[in-house]
Amino acid sequence: MAETLIGLKDVCKYFHVGRGLTLKAVNNVTIDILGGETLGVVGESGCGKSTLGRTIMGIYRPTSGTITYRGKTLDMHSRSDRFAYAKKAQIIFQDPYASLDPRMTVGTIISEGMEIHGMYDAQKRRERVYELLETVGLNREHANRFPHEFSGGQRQRIGIARALAIEPEFIVCDEPISALDVSIQSQIINLLKELQERLSLTYMFIAHDLNIVKYISDRIAVMYLGNLVEVASSEEIYAHTLHPYSQALLAAVPIPDPDKEAQKRMRVLSGDVPSPINPPEGCNFAGRCSRACDICRQKTPQLREIRPNHWAACHFAGEEEAEG
Amino acid sequence: MADVLNIENLHVSFDTYAGEVHAVRGVDLHIASGEVLAVVGESGCGKSVTAQTIMKLNPMPPARIKEGSITLDGIDIVDAGEKQMEDIRGRLVSMIFQDPMTCLNPTMKVGKQIVETIQNHQKLSREEAHKEAIRLLEMVQIPNAAQRAEEYPHQFSGGMRQRAMIAMALSCKPKLLIADEPTTALDVTIQAQIMQLMATLRKETGTAIILITHDLGVVANLADRVAVMYAGRVMEQGTVRDIFYHPAHPYTRALLRSLPTIDTDRGAQLVSIPGTPPDLYAPPEGCEFASRCSECMKLCRANRPPMYTAGEGHIASCWKLHPDYPGEKEGR
Repeated sequence: MAETLIGLKDVCKYFHVGRGLTLKAVNNVTIDILGGETLGVVGESGCGKSTLGRTIMGIYRPTSGTITYRGKTLDMHSRSDRFAYAKKAQIIFQDPYASLDPRMTVGTIISEGMEIHGMYDAQKRRERVYELLETVGLNREHANRFPHEFSGGQRQRIGIARALAIEPEFIVCDEPISALDVSIQSQIINLLKELQERLSLTYMFIAHDLNIVKYISDRIAVMYLGNLVEVASSEEIYAHTLHPYSQALLAAVPIPDPDKEAQKRMRVLSGDVPSPINPPEGCNFAGRCSRACDICRQKTPQLREIRPNHWAACHFAGEEEAEG
Repeated sequence: MADVLNIENLHVSFDTYAGEVHAVRGVDLHIASGEVLAVVGESGCGKSVTAQTIMKLNPMPPARIKEGSITLDGIDIVDAGEKQMEDIRGRLVSMIFQDPMTCLNPTMKVGKQIVETIQNHQKLSREEAHKEAIRLLEMVQIPNAAQRAEEYPHQFSGGMRQRAMIAMALSCKPKLLIADEPTTALDVTIQAQIMQLMATLRKETGTAIILITHDLGVVANLADRVAVMYAGRVMEQGTVRDIFYHPAHPYTRALLRSLPTIDTDRGAQLVSIPGTPPDLYAPPEGCEFASRCSECMKLCRANRPPMYTAGEGHIASCWKLHPDYPGEKEGR
């Protein structure tokens, strides 16, 4: 069994939105990210998946809770701790147009991190830039160009090269392909998988495209309104979906196959996601859940291990199995 | 059944400082009443430009219809003046867009926006139009429609805004509805709601729909026929079953294979299409897909293939479908 690389314990991230109101973007998230695995995080917009990614990265300071790295608790208020951690954890952003500085050459963008962390001398850094560009499928000549000269897919490759430059162990991929065209998406996915194998990286892969998450992840965490509602290996979660929200989410994904799509019994979830400002009492999902009863509206369900290594936060999860 | 829309050999260009962009280069499309035609393709393939040209929403200049004809319900669109177009838009054809927030007027109550559309085309009193607006909002399943009609767009969620857009688009019972990426900005559970709504409305109203999207899952769910576009041309056209089960063009095949599905083996590598689409300032001589095609021949780079029949109502533009092509015939 792989050891825990990054551990989260009761991590919360709240934002004050004025008038004394609090937006609970991430609420009591406890999860271990194992070395060498890909943890997929899925959920609808506003469920806090990106906030969670940024909190793990140290871009946001958690409101409460602890983050450990290789067993050592990180003090996100200490500059030196954050700096040392930043060397190990990197992020790839969703929008390849907004995440590269338009006034910097690609070479400077990639080598900036190495400079900050005092890695290598100038000569060696330049060589590393060339090497990285080739690793991600670009040419060394591209180092002197500016981001606007590249297409979306190529920019995402630059973003990946920048993340790899300081030899991190852990990369948060925040929807790295959702801004790209279908034919380009698979190029980037293949690249990410290949790099993971070669450099034994650990990924947290945030996305809303469940087909792709299933394909790339070892384990999947489903989020709803700031809470984790289900965590399991990707085969397990598709085979034995326990939480009603995960079930609805999976059923809602259209399959690119007309016959299967016609056979599929549509269980369309009614209503919208409630506001994360003053969320409802009890289970967050109760308002849209077909199985909700009184206990759901009163008591917040905790994440429980219902099957081996399969956790779900629902009062009724696992009951069907016990009956059947 | 008579065709609601007929597009023949449409060429649209944009004149820019850097030169002429050949955005649409010889598109033939037709759609029968009550039918759902999906137009799929990557960004920049000309699918939105084609749709906007049907409604003449492209500012001209810089856009220019170079060639071809568009016939909508027997009316020639290419030669129609702006006055005539104002009458056609909304009454014969209407459109819903990807981002419903930017398409609704933020300073006007939702109900009033629908009333405005109705009164532009139908002689109804304000009370009657208002009643009709509420009926439309109920039709698209907005709860408390009467109360919601008095609210502003920012008080609606993304899914509800898209519903309001659909209500507005259908207010004058158009023969054709163009849906340009209607669910791309929405979450999957909301997307499922909107897809279900569109399927129901089409059954009830008999409106033909052109569905522009890049999501093949949505296509499989809603479409009757599919046109696959690439670099300004239709590469393949056929029924949804033809396209998904017997794709005849290498681009369609590559596109379908590059998608991971829930059943894809995690150990397997995804088939990716190398390279990027061609530059439409200077489109290539031969087949547009030649430089990325795994089955490319010498002929493909020099000459553009014409449309060949791959089956009944199934056409594709690939030299491998030429009757004299010696090799195995894929597809049919």
